[in-house]
Amino acid sequence: MRLDSVGKRYGVRQPWVVRGVSADVPAGRLIRVEGRNGSGKSTLLRVVAGITAASEGRVTGRPASAGYVPERFPGGLPFSGREYLRHMARVHGLRGAAGYRQVEGWLERLGAAGYAGQSLGSMSKGMCQKMAIAQALLPSPGLLVLDEAWTGLDTAAREALDEAVAERVADGGAVLFVDHDPARLAGRADERWQVGGDGAVTVLAGPGPVTVPVTVPRIGPRVQRVTVRLETLDAGAVLSRLRAMDGVRVLSADVEHSDSAGGSAGAEVS
Amino acid sequence: MIALLRYRAAILLRSHRWIFPLIAYGLLIAVGAAGSTSLAETLDWSGAMLVPVTAFLTRAMLTAEPDAARACVGAAAGPVRAQFATLLVPLGGGALLGGAAVVFGVLTAEPASGLASPPGSIADKVSDVAHHPGIVVAGLLIALICLLVGSAAGALCNPPMLRHPGAALLTTLAAVVLALAVDVSPAAAAIGGTKAQAASPLAATWPGAASLIGACCLLAAAWGVSVFAATRRDTWSVHSE
Repeated sequence: MRLDSVGKRYGVRQPWVVRGVSADVPAGRLIRVEGRNGSGKSTLLRVVAGITAASEGRVTGRPASAGYVPERFPGGLPFSGREYLRHMARVHGLRGAAGYRQVEGWLERLGAAGYAGQSLGSMSKGMCQKMAIAQALLPSPGLLVLDEAWTGLDTAAREALDEAVAERVADGGAVLFVDHDPARLAGRADERWQVGGDGAVTVLAGPGPVTVPVTVPRIGPRVQRVTVRLETLDAGAVLSRLRAMDGVRVLSADVEHSDSAGGSAGAEVS
Repeated sequence: MIALLRYRAAILLRSHRWIFPLIAYGLLIAVGAAGSTSLAETLDWSGAMLVPVTAFLTRAMLTAEPDAARACVGAAAGPVRAQFATLLVPLGGGALLGGAAVVFGVLTAEPASGLASPPGSIADKVSDVAHHPGIVVAGLLIALICLLVGSAAGALCNPPMLRHPGAALLTTLAAVVLALAVDVSPAAAAIGGTKAQAASPLAATWPGAASLIGACCLLAAAWGVSVFAATRRDTWSVHSE
């Protein structure tokens, strides 16, 4: 799939939400979309998913089946969870028993099988979210678009979704996701798209920093003791730079090596 | 497409949004049947009343699905097909109502309405109609024209074209009144034509071909605009902006 100088605005007098987005989305790629609240991440995702047409530019080569999980799935439909999913299976082109099997399979995996008989309107937010996720995964889509899909899920369902994303990517599907938690699928994304808020989108290769920068507030001359666990390719260099910093004394350091080239270092600093 | 139609029809049925248009149509038909003097006039009236009923049934369907659920369907099936299904379901519903009204009109026709007398059994009435099929066919044509005009009005005056509920309701109402009152409207032309030529109670009162063609063009244009708007705008509820 490819985006060619794609732009989107809602009306000719409206400002561009995103503009000039050119990017390749090859099969098997996991893309994290980043940006502040209101920067246009959701709009970009909906253009990619084919829900709304681009105002300029073109999206070509979209996979035949696409699944989209919205950030909020309101229970406004007059169906039980299972009825809704069976309808969506047919809409996705899954007929009869095959569709029903997919429905039951995903309800089971997401831990929602016991609740699927409830009406969507009476479901908790998390359970509704599971229905939204299940409908998107039913056809094993070639393109999966997740807009804060993890919100409101229990731990088991979050892990099931992580696993489902990994399966889609391994299967040659493209997956785009937005999540407020920077640790979501940490280290797994192939690419990050940064939505600037002024409409510009920057494509960055690689999963990005795995940990979040933390600023420690300075509170007078009092001594502070900070414990940091970090993962790095060169623990020795990090430790020596820590030791070289002004006013820092490393109290203890514990380096463990893992199978991959990385290592971790725990340092207690005061 | 069939899956989409099933899904959307299920939403309309299960949300009970069809009840108000159905009751309104039933009342209007009953009032019309009581006040008309011939079968042709009854069918004229029941056709005309399809304009508001189909327009509001279309509105009921267009506003029944939450934005997020429509987005999921849009990703799965594409917004164009999704919107066609949304417009087709209430058109089918209106067709069912219109057909039922024609049957009701025939079965309740009084002898004075021009069909062969005396007031007999239902079988007699059906055989009467079989001898004068033109009246019923013309009535069905009028109903078809009004159905298309009503669907066009509903598509033009509701989301995604007009998203504010108050504005959409009032505009739909105004469009319905105009469609029935202004001479250029195919629906008004079809109904007015029959009034002009209601010479003999047994004569079939045919709507002009121009009004049928006009209604088809109006529907194509209104649906085209609505489908185009649906591909451009994915948030229909004004309150979530």
